[in-house]
Amino acid sequence: MSETAGPAATPLAVRAERRRPVGLLLVAAPVLLMAWLIIWPIISAIIRTMWRPDATGNVGFNLSSYAFFFSDQYSLNNLFITLWTTGVCAALLLLICLPIAIYLRFATGRLPTYVQALAIFPLFVPSIILAYAFIRVLGPNGMVDILLNSVGLPKIDTPYLSPWGPVIGLVWDNIPLTVLILLAGLGSVPTAAIEAARDVGARRMQVFWYIILPRIGNSILVALSFAVLGIFSAFTLPYILGPAAPEMMGPFMQRTFRDLYDPLNAMTQAVITFGFCIAFGLFYVRSVARNQGGGA
Amino acid sequence: MTSAITPQRRIVVRRKVDVAGIAFALILSIVIIFPLLVVATWAFTEVWRYPNIIPQQFGLRFWEQTLNRADVWNALTLSLRLSAVVTLASAVICLPAAYAFARMEFPGRNLLFFSFLAGHAFPKFGLLIAIAAIFLQLDLIGTFWGVVIIQVVSTLLFMIWIPVAAFRAVDRRMEEAARDVGAGPFRVFWSITLPQAGPTIAAAVLLTFVGTFYEVEGAWLIGAPGIRTMPVLMISFINNQLVVQYGAVLSVILWVPSFVALIFARRVINGGSFARGFGG
Repeated sequence: MSETAGPAATPLAVRAERRRPVGLLLVAAPVLLMAWLIIWPIISAIIRTMWRPDATGNVGFNLSSYAFFFSDQYSLNNLFITLWTTGVCAALLLLICLPIAIYLRFATGRLPTYVQALAIFPLFVPSIILAYAFIRVLGPNGMVDILLNSVGLPKIDTPYLSPWGPVIGLVWDNIPLTVLILLAGLGSVPTAAIEAARDVGARRMQVFWYIILPRIGNSILVALSFAVLGIFSAFTLPYILGPAAPEMMGPFMQRTFRDLYDPLNAMTQAVITFGFCIAFGLFYVRSVARNQGGGA
Repeated sequence: MTSAITPQRRIVVRRKVDVAGIAFALILSIVIIFPLLVVATWAFTEVWRYPNIIPQQFGLRFWEQTLNRADVWNALTLSLRLSAVVTLASAVICLPAAYAFARMEFPGRNLLFFSFLAGHAFPKFGLLIAIAAIFLQLDLIGTFWGVVIIQVVSTLLFMIWIPVAAFRAVDRRMEEAARDVGAGPFRVFWSITLPQAGPTIAAAVLLTFVGTFYEVEGAWLIGAPGIRTMPVLMISFINNQLVVQYGAVLSVILWVPSFVALIFARRVINGGSFARGFGG
């Protein structure tokens, strides 16, 4: 954030000093909205789930809704399926997107343009259309079944309404941003370093392991954090493609809030998801802030 | 590029690249394009019974049926109205703020600028539940304006950060030159700043509109049952297992705004600031 520095900045800075209240006034509306509807709800959810009346009506520090969550087998199953889905998705995303990003970074010609367009394309497919396409292709009697049947093979064990349904959908949905983030990180790997290593006889895996990986470790963590934050509380895809029970935290919270009219337990579940993601969230914010601060 | 071995090495590299590239292109085409083609085929199909690879009968009958449903039209007009109001409100409060963040000095500027990341530091649906609990007390659940507010909140980061990057990319020397020859601040803004920053900002506004059009989670959590947007209607079509083609036709219709975004978004996405905005 040093864009006002420089030889020509002095008169501008003087002018800016005079406009100080105007600047604050211009940013007031979004800042207040953000404070009211992002910061305050989080604080409020934490307070209202921890500081509330107990069985005798005395208001005080009370963790009973958390005790219920962590003793209720159904809630725990939902938490575990969420952790499992998030972990599997993160691993698959990395396995799929890292080779694509490395290919895009170093390849030349027309083919990479096509591959990049394809990899980014899911960004322009709303998740609801993705869910529908998933059912038509991988669902019972879907296109894959049709094709398998036509060559005399048995039907697939459909992932629709199984835990693998949300995994496939969420990975598909998250490919573009993971590729973009990794690609941005790979931009800092100098081609000269790769070529030098190749010249002295390094193999591909050695180049990847000793030259590329150390330089993009941070980008990998950012991409993972972003994916984890999005997947952990995903709603649409698990709701449509996943099993009814156990369900992921997103549909679980929605059902607790809307169908069971139980805001207290829904907020408890929300605070628990915050707790599980807090490390990723902080890391993500720190990385973005550092990136923006350094180069803006 | 000057050494003699470069051409030779390039040939070697290119031959290796082709194998990997063709593999990626093939796999991604199958995984990403093929499912959408299946949906598109369904939309123009009248009869397609299970073991056949190709539909028995093509036709537009289900387009007529889908477009004659009152709930589809209600959802479509509601979605367009909602997206327009949200985009307008977001632009009105965010663009001046973006200008201020990019160009003015005021106390706490950096802290406030980065505080918009708070919305992305938490799992989104958990945050929506926390907001919904507040809305419950305010009686905003199930109302048009409740959905508007929650959707405006989720556009804040995007509608501030992208325009800030656009304003910062404007050549300051041109502005100062204009000022030196006597242009007033509004004239400078109108003739120098806006033409340079405008296209990126327009892309951000367009993407906000499209993103809001497809927003499901806030509309579903806050809006149900009174507010049924297109994506929400689509969920109920999928869940209730109505005629298969209804979902397919809606998918094709729903994809149109996304296609428009696809064309206009290249500017924002190909510029590095987009990936950097996500921390890349």
